[in-house]
Amino acid sequence: MLEIRELTVYYGLHAAIRNVSLQVEPGEIVVVLGANGAGKSTLLRATMGMVRPASGHVLLDGLDLTSLVRRNLTHQIVEQGLILVPERGGTFTDLTVRENLLLGAFPRRARAKEKELLEFALSLFPRLKERWNQRVGTMSGGEQRMVAVARALLSAPRFLLLDEPTLGLAPVLAKQLLRVLPQIAAQGIGVLLVEQNAHLSLAVAQRGAVLSNGELVHASSAAELQDDPAVRAAYLGSQ
Amino acid sequence: MTSILDALVTGLVYGGIYALLALGLTLQYGVARILNLAYGDFLIAAAVFATLLYQRFQLSPLVSLLLLLPASFLIHLLVYHLVFVQLERRRGSWRAMEASSILLAFGLSFVVSGAMLAIFGGKLFSYSYLLVPVQLLGSVVPANRLLALVLALAFGGFAYLLLVRTRIGTAIRAIAVDPDGAPLAGIDVRRWAGLTFAFGGIICAASGVLISMFQTFNVPMGVTFTLKALVVVIMGGVGNAVGALVAGLILGVTESFVARFISPGLTLAAVYGLFVLAVLTMRTGIFGRALR
Repeated sequence: MLEIRELTVYYGLHAAIRNVSLQVEPGEIVVVLGANGAGKSTLLRATMGMVRPASGHVLLDGLDLTSLVRRNLTHQIVEQGLILVPERGGTFTDLTVRENLLLGAFPRRARAKEKELLEFALSLFPRLKERWNQRVGTMSGGEQRMVAVARALLSAPRFLLLDEPTLGLAPVLAKQLLRVLPQIAAQGIGVLLVEQNAHLSLAVAQRGAVLSNGELVHASSAAELQDDPAVRAAYLGSQ
Repeated sequence: MTSILDALVTGLVYGGIYALLALGLTLQYGVARILNLAYGDFLIAAAVFATLLYQRFQLSPLVSLLLLLPASFLIHLLVYHLVFVQLERRRGSWRAMEASSILLAFGLSFVVSGAMLAIFGGKLFSYSYLLVPVQLLGSVVPANRLLALVLALAFGGFAYLLLVRTRIGTAIRAIAVDPDGAPLAGIDVRRWAGLTFAFGGIICAASGVLISMFQTFNVPMGVTFTLKALVVVIMGGVGNAVGALVAGLILGVTESFVARFISPGLTLAAVYGLFVLAVLTMRTGIFGRALR
């Protein structure tokens, strides 16, 4: 289980997130909804040790990763089995698809299962086989997202964190991308997704919550969130 | 006709060496983000030791390489962790460090060349190694230069294959193009940047030993080699190995033709003329980032 416990991050005097607690079980998909500036990216980046939290803990199957987080040792957190696909990033755009996936399996933990993981990732995104020796920077936005998710999967993660994977994608492509998440979760990988697109993300998630002004509210099942009037008003429009 | 051929062959020999010495600097700058202005001084140090080992112990420079390359690796690794990592800690980030590291490397250059001046003075070093003529493309070249060129291309080719064909080489290129994104691929940036800096140190020492095989040099010449390497790095694009090879060959041939047909005194002027031309006309020269 991935457990984020009372995480607080300050940028200067401003609290980007405050006392956020969240749990993700293996094989489960959890979505955190929030508007721009609500602290979604900060939550994921702090969990990976990319920004330093003022207080709080990150635990992976009971193992306390907080000291790694506080020392910004992101590469060691990746070795523990956490991985993040950052917003619009997560690829080396100057390198080819092949090279990106090769580096996905750079962590020691990934080497033993590299072949199976590559097969699995390519079964999710067969398009990447056609683009094998193409530089990622020359590919379309949707294809770049595929490379980013595939690269993350090659690190043999126990938990996959995704920062607005559908951002900037056409609705059809966004839907296609999120459709692979249940297949990833079926492998026993827990998925923590932050999104503004409530429609699509609640459709694939089991549980969800809303991040509002840095605080987590409305934690419940995805079905309940879809029916919540406040959530409907803020994230689902008038439908 | 033969004089043109002579100049071309000489130019290619020097160009091959320039390409190799620039490869070390471009790795240090592109991956470890340290513009190592002490590069030429470390190069001269290796050349001095190769000369002394030959003169005192009749040790072939090929054997000296086996001693000097590991030594240079260790020294550069120590310098990286004892000097530059400490600077990074104080500065807080790589970006903030980049400007200060240039000043620090500049100081290091004075320390290294000053220490060597104190020990060896400014006298000229040279030794006769494999000074036999060899026929090449209708021109005559001393065997030592030819061997130096072959070794330079072998070292450079080996380093290139490491960068392009292996997972670790790919990780090193990833650090060059996206140091902030590399930790998310499980890459320990500080560790690999340090090892790459030290690997650049190996190439630096190899260049020094190869140059000592055929060229007369003295301690104050270190800065000339730093500048030549820098010109090649910038012309070829920072962190660009193939660019370094092409730019190195261009530089070597230009030098050789200017020395032969215009005036030997103008070679350095020609180097900088070329450099200015490159900076003014090429967009991706100085700003080129991709390492391939």
